Amino acid sequence: MIPHPQLFAGALMLSVAALVAWTFWMVPRWARPGIYFGVTVPLPFQDSAEARHILRSYRRLAMSHFAIALALIGAGVFSGYWGFVFLGAIWFVAGPLAAFLGAHKRAVRYAIEGTTIREAVLEKRVVNLPGGRLTQAGPFAILIATAVDLQLRWNEIPARFPVHWGIDGHPNGWSTRTPIGVYVPIVMGISILAGIAATAYGIRHLARSVHATAAGPLAYDFGHRIGMFLLIVEYFLAMTFSLVALLPLTGSPGVMSLLVIALLMVPILLMLIPWLNKGRAHIENHPAASAGVAIGDGTPDQCWKLGMFYFNPDDAALFVERRFGVGYTLNFGHSSAWICVALVLLIPIAILVLVSHQR
Amino acid sequence: MVKPRTLRIDLASPRPVYEQIVSGLRALLVAGEFAPGEQLLTVRQLAIDLGVHHNTVAESYRVLAEEGWLDLRRGRGAVVLDRREPKPTAEAKQSFARRLEELVAKAITEGVPRPAIADQMAALAKKLSD
Repeated sequence: MIPHPQLFAGALMLSVAALVAWTFWMVPRWARPGIYFGVTVPLPFQDSAEARHILRSYRRLAMSHFAIALALIGAGVFSGYWGFVFLGAIWFVAGPLAAFLGAHKRAVRYAIEGTTIREAVLEKRVVNLPGGRLTQAGPFAILIATAVDLQLRWNEIPARFPVHWGIDGHPNGWSTRTPIGVYVPIVMGISILAGIAATAYGIRHLARSVHATAAGPLAYDFGHRIGMFLLIVEYFLAMTFSLVALLPLTGSPGVMSLLVIALLMVPILLMLIPWLNKGRAHIENHPAASAGVAIGDGTPDQCWKLGMFYFNPDDAALFVERRFGVGYTLNFGHSSAWICVALVLLIPIAILVLVSHQR
Repeated sequence: MVKPRTLRIDLASPRPVYEQIVSGLRALLVAGEFAPGEQLLTVRQLAIDLGVHHNTVAESYRVLAEEGWLDLRRGRGAVVLDRREPKPTAEAKQSFARRLEELVAKAITEGVPRPAIADQMAALAKKLSD
């Protein structure tokens, strides 16, 4: 049990809010050079007075929205009116996104045509997922080993066991010793890991690498680094879901141990993002990098809706580099993209429905 | 370091993209850059790298297959054939000469100096006879 649970909850929420605010503060600087708030611009534009003005306005507005969201959440928590909390949670994301859209609209005035030259290197390539097959299988092996352990110790599991604890450390949610009740964390974990592994595979095989030079070996560095990042996330999730699955046997892990795990993730994330960005192809020496032509990211501006969603049925790539944030996003011009979205939404819902029926 | 084989297209060109792909690949095949039996990139991979629809690349491969450069079989991808040089017809020679004259005229219209055109053609002739 922890003393002053509400203060603790408040401090935890403020820490999460600070991390999210920092992310939205930094995100414009994480874009590929030549892309500014989702728009293709000349390379020197980012250091211009106009660009700095757009960035300042965006940051001011985004932080204002954060403050409003926090105020709403705080008002909801202290008054007990959960509608404010819900509204605050939505404002937390919608507000900064609205700030981005405003900056995007301003940046469009400075947009230039990206190069229409496309090059492909015709050499055979071997594209492997980072770490090889054994390392990739590791997270699944962790969950399967946990499932086997649970099966072997089935009789040690109490007939009824807690699965949810309040902030004061008292259990307030229960499950029973049935296959669904015991194995749901394993099933959820495997579903999520499968989704992440499929995404990593898709990025390696169904995404284009934006070339660093006119004719040179393909640079898979960014995609490879994203693959490594996803693998780290898979291992983290596998261990988390295993811990959760073993709760019937181990009891509550205690809030402090969860807090330690969460706090460990923060410096890892802070170090990973600059490392990921270094993997983007360097374009300073590109022959098309003249004053009038921007290299861009190999996608036309007009296919980016609101600067965030890519829709181009004429582009065979299923994954393209994000223009806002780090990583990749789907090409919604592909029917496969919608199937991916449907699976991401439906599978967790199906599991939750299964669990609620079981209870 | 051996320069990798590359294919370049211009999405803004008035020439259809599939024609640009056919021309680019044909030039490499004629120059012997691909050995017989070598497999080209899959349709999907080349389409992704060029940022075009996979049907565009499929059409290009089909045209090259009809010209006798490639063997397309499901499951095997596009494999380079050992293409014997066909005997040219008089019509093919005349058509080539006419197209060459048209290309030179277009280049002159666009401002390319005549000596530069002559030099380029001499270099190409030398390459063909090597």
